[in-house]
Amino acid sequence: MAKLLSNPCCYSSSSTTFSCFHNESLCSSRNLAAVPISSHFSKWAPNNFTRIQLRSSNFELRSSNGYPLNAVSLQDEGSVDNPLAEEANFSDSAEGDSTLSITVVGASGDLAKKKIFPALFALYYEGWLPENFVIFGYSRTNMSDEELRNMISRTLTCRIDQRENCDDKMTQFLKRCFYHSGQYNSEEHFLELDCKLKEKEGGGLSNRLFYLSVPPNIFVDVARCVSTGASSTTGWTRVIVEKPFGRDSESSRELTRCLKQYLSEDQIFRIDHYLGKELVENLSVLRFSNLVFEPLWSRDYIRNVQFIFSEDFGTEGRGGYFDNYGIIRDIMQNHLLQILALFAMETPVSLDAEDIRNEKVKVLRSMKPLLLEDVVVGQYKGHSKGGKTYLGYTDDPTVPNNSVTPTFAAAALFINNARWDGVPFLMKAGKALHTRRAEIRVQFRHVPGNLYKHTFGTDLDLATNELVLRVQPDEAIYLKVNNKVPGLGMRLDRSDLNLLYKARYTREIPDAYERLLLDAIEGERRLFIRSDELDAAWALFTPLLRELEDRKIAPELYPYGSRGPVGAHYLAAKHNVRWGDLTGED
Amino acid sequence: MSALSSPNHCCSSSSSLHSSIGFHQIHKNIPFSVIPHKIFGSKNVSFRSKCSPLPDVLLMQDVISKFLNCLGALATKLVATNEGPPLPKELKEGLLTVNPPEEDENPIDSDAKDANSTVSITIVGASGDLAKKKIFPALFALYYEDCLPEHFTIFGYARSKMTDAELRNMVSKTLTCRIDKRENCGEKMEQFLKRCFYHSGNYDSEENFAELDRKLKEHEAGRISNRLFYLSIPPNIFVDAVKYASLSASSVNGWTRVIVEKPFGRDSESSAALTRSLKQYLEEEQIFRIDHYLGKELVENLSVLRFSNLIFEPLWSRKYIRNVQLIFSEDFGTEGRGGYFDHYGIIRDIMQNHLLQILALFAMETPVSLDAEDIRNEKVKVLRSMRPIRVDDVVVGQYKSHTRGGQSFPGYTDDKTVPKDSLTPTFAAAALFIDNARWDGVPFLMKAGKALQDKRTEIRVQFRRVPGNLYNRNFGTDLDRATNELVIRVQPDEAIYLKINNKVPGLGMKLDRSNLNLLYKARYSKEIPDAYERLVLDAIEGERRLFIRSDELDAAWLLFSPVLNEIEEKKVIPEYYPYGSRGPVGAHYLAARYNVKWGDMGVDE
Repeated sequence: MAKLLSNPCCYSSSSTTFSCFHNESLCSSRNLAAVPISSHFSKWAPNNFTRIQLRSSNFELRSSNGYPLNAVSLQDEGSVDNPLAEEANFSDSAEGDSTLSITVVGASGDLAKKKIFPALFALYYEGWLPENFVIFGYSRTNMSDEELRNMISRTLTCRIDQRENCDDKMTQFLKRCFYHSGQYNSEEHFLELDCKLKEKEGGGLSNRLFYLSVPPNIFVDVARCVSTGASSTTGWTRVIVEKPFGRDSESSRELTRCLKQYLSEDQIFRIDHYLGKELVENLSVLRFSNLVFEPLWSRDYIRNVQFIFSEDFGTEGRGGYFDNYGIIRDIMQNHLLQILALFAMETPVSLDAEDIRNEKVKVLRSMKPLLLEDVVVGQYKGHSKGGKTYLGYTDDPTVPNNSVTPTFAAAALFINNARWDGVPFLMKAGKALHTRRAEIRVQFRHVPGNLYKHTFGTDLDLATNELVLRVQPDEAIYLKVNNKVPGLGMRLDRSDLNLLYKARYTREIPDAYERLLLDAIEGERRLFIRSDELDAAWALFTPLLRELEDRKIAPELYPYGSRGPVGAHYLAAKHNVRWGDLTGED
Repeated sequence: MSALSSPNHCCSSSSSLHSSIGFHQIHKNIPFSVIPHKIFGSKNVSFRSKCSPLPDVLLMQDVISKFLNCLGALATKLVATNEGPPLPKELKEGLLTVNPPEEDENPIDSDAKDANSTVSITIVGASGDLAKKKIFPALFALYYEDCLPEHFTIFGYARSKMTDAELRNMVSKTLTCRIDKRENCGEKMEQFLKRCFYHSGNYDSEENFAELDRKLKEHEAGRISNRLFYLSIPPNIFVDAVKYASLSASSVNGWTRVIVEKPFGRDSESSAALTRSLKQYLEEEQIFRIDHYLGKELVENLSVLRFSNLIFEPLWSRKYIRNVQLIFSEDFGTEGRGGYFDHYGIIRDIMQNHLLQILALFAMETPVSLDAEDIRNEKVKVLRSMRPIRVDDVVVGQYKSHTRGGQSFPGYTDDKTVPKDSLTPTFAAAALFIDNARWDGVPFLMKAGKALQDKRTEIRVQFRRVPGNLYNRNFGTDLDRATNELVIRVQPDEAIYLKINNKVPGLGMKLDRSNLNLLYKARYSKEIPDAYERLVLDAIEGERRLFIRSDELDAAWLLFSPVLNEIEEKKVIPEYYPYGSRGPVGAHYLAARYNVKWGDMGVDE
């Protein structure tokens, strides 16, 4: 522990601030304990019901000892034993005079403008935010409240299906938005922010959420300043951080260690916004609430699983960050691997965050680190099509001309447990491909002793069932079944048992950020990455990444807008798999 | 064997014909199934690929045409002098006890003989309703789609005096072309009608059938003649017609087959008696007992779904299926045509045949192959494994008059053709059980009724609930409400859908039941052929998969006869339900006894 604390990267904060912080929080937690539990249900809008229902289970579990009921998170090195974290759920229940402050650190950035503020507005519009809330933008740019509001207002939209009072609501929302300009590493500036927050909070119970929309190299600075300068003294303080969480096992562990100097694991909400996607959330519902799927969910019936992510554009002049990370770190190691873990996990004891994350970690830990031979990397090159020229990756001025950073990767992974032994989990992620999509494909085995096999030609694996969850665009679930083509003959084809969300549900599907922000506000950690998950994820990919980089493996070049390098097919073929998205059927 | 085959004096010559060594040598190197289809030129190849119930033909199309290109001339020449080759089909039929060794009824064979053979289809009872509404239109559709052999003749036979022209006039009124193929329709109709003739005669006159035979011979013009008789007449004259058709109008050098339609008796005894009588004149092989529900597209698809999809077979047992429902409803009553119906009632009219056949197909074990005998063997096993039906597992109902929106609908006994005091059920619900390892304890519920609120036929498979469901709290108190359900809608609007629990998109965690949906209308642009088309074609081709074998029929009657007798002896009063309603509530109580909810009555339907 002592060694960790002395880590040079983490400035130890002044002891006075720190102990004061402790004392205050301790006493606040005592106050909170007195809040009657029953008040918990008299919450915001009535449409919160189901969420509250779910959350109430967390509440009950936690109230027994103030800690999640599992060993894994207890073993987290919460070097700062900060009791603030524990009352996460208590504070939610104190509605009347409590205030929620959301500070977007890095408010002038792109993510803030495009995603975070719009998501907050959507939550406000739908009545999900508590009665008393303020939103603060924080960044280095000098700006007035008015200017911030002006900037935000340009990106706010109302849902297509709910245009009523939209302008009214926007005006009201913007009135709650404020700006504070300051440096990211200045405790002083955060203390100023603290003063402003206190002013808005009006002396009641205050809960504070900080969204770190800043480059990773200043994560720790901000965390330190938030923790020492702008933590809530009466309620909870939570910090949302977004990828990248390091570049490999070491740097990730380092980051975790540094953050934990100032924050406890319970205060850190590591966002993986893919986990907030509707269809990814629905994955567990499909599996665990339908009898027809669970019996099929194993090596006995599933031949392979494919996780496919593709974008139809390149870095387009913003390759600076990307070039330092590459597609494997940017998409695979986090988004796709997280979905894989959710897909493959055993049934958790409950839907509580710790139970689910325990199961996910088990999956990750049952996997072997990736081997170079099970990975194909690619990079897009310039391409002219229909008189239009598309730039190659290295043509991007923000990318070094000799860059070998992969913009495409395919990988075969295996889970060495009883359920999945031998089943290839294939991942594919790429930029500048022919379509934009994210989907999960589950290919089933062929029917043993199929009575209809002479209707299928020679390759029986072509006529197997396939379950597709299309995460984006056009959310859909469909199950490919063999079906008789109507008519007098006996011809079979694959038809879809189809659930297209657009056709079934009229409501617009909320953006992933809305869900995740709301979860963070409510202290629901199910969709956030725990540090041991993160470690396990890096442990899988780090050796491979290192080898790729040490040996400067040249990526297979593919034209912009194409279907990606053919190497991906050979990789699949090696494991007796066909990519489901390239069959021409879809 | 020889005794059995003796009445069939038609096929002896064919066996010697197709033993040509030369031909065999040619096709030895290619798959069996390809052979017969390529031998008569590309036109025939394409029609086979559209019509043949043999699955392998289609994918082999390329092979066929390649073969044709190489060997076309030679093959055609050979065909002119040879019979088709013996095929695996024959081997399989050899297992049938009643199959006379010299008989050659191979469907492919008969097609191979196309150029040199002819099919005569005689509709006995040609002036009747079924003939007009279903049989002639089905024949025309087959003709339109090129599914009939090159040489064919259609004869109408009935007691009414009519000329050929009058028959054609009558037939032409009910012919239609498929919506998606209106081209040349008028022309095709004309050509079709030219092949239709009429012969007037009594059903019990040997002489009249002998006259028919002469006319048929005339049209057959010395070709190998295959004859199909469709008996579209009341059951009391089945035997007479069969007798005289067999004695006087059987083919002498091809096959003779007879299609009969329900009712096949009223109970075990009368059914057995009918079978016995028919078999005096016909082989089991010659009798094609039609159950037109088996010709419905979605019923045919049932086996495809089960056996060609890995995802369904593991679920197909008591371990996962809570109950199965077979539902038939009509939205009209007897409407002045209750004479026949009153004698039989809904249980005999719908349950004992149509629904029970679907049940057997649904529940059977995997057959050894898709061949008719293999499938029918499995179906018989299911029927014989079933527990006798107890009378208190049956609810009967009868519709009464009802006035709605100023319009008055008559009750069943208001029908002039129905006795005033009739207790004949127009509605019935029953719980059946199959006492085998796969289905022990799973209720199979049947429901059939007339004059209900809607018209539909469907199969509903309700699955068990998820044990230890993590999402239980989202489902309220009745966990059985939130289970998966597979629905196969046979009519109207053919569809397959699987009800699954799904998260309602949004920030909350609300679940609902959504459908994984396959609506045929949306997926397939082709019009779905009528069941009669398929069945008539199958009969012509000798494909017996969708016809009822006599032992199946026996087993089906054995199951229902006791309960029918009891209902009739005890004069069980049916529960009355208003015309156009959802039927008697008794059906709900019956379902409730076995912890089942009717799927068609749910709010989400």
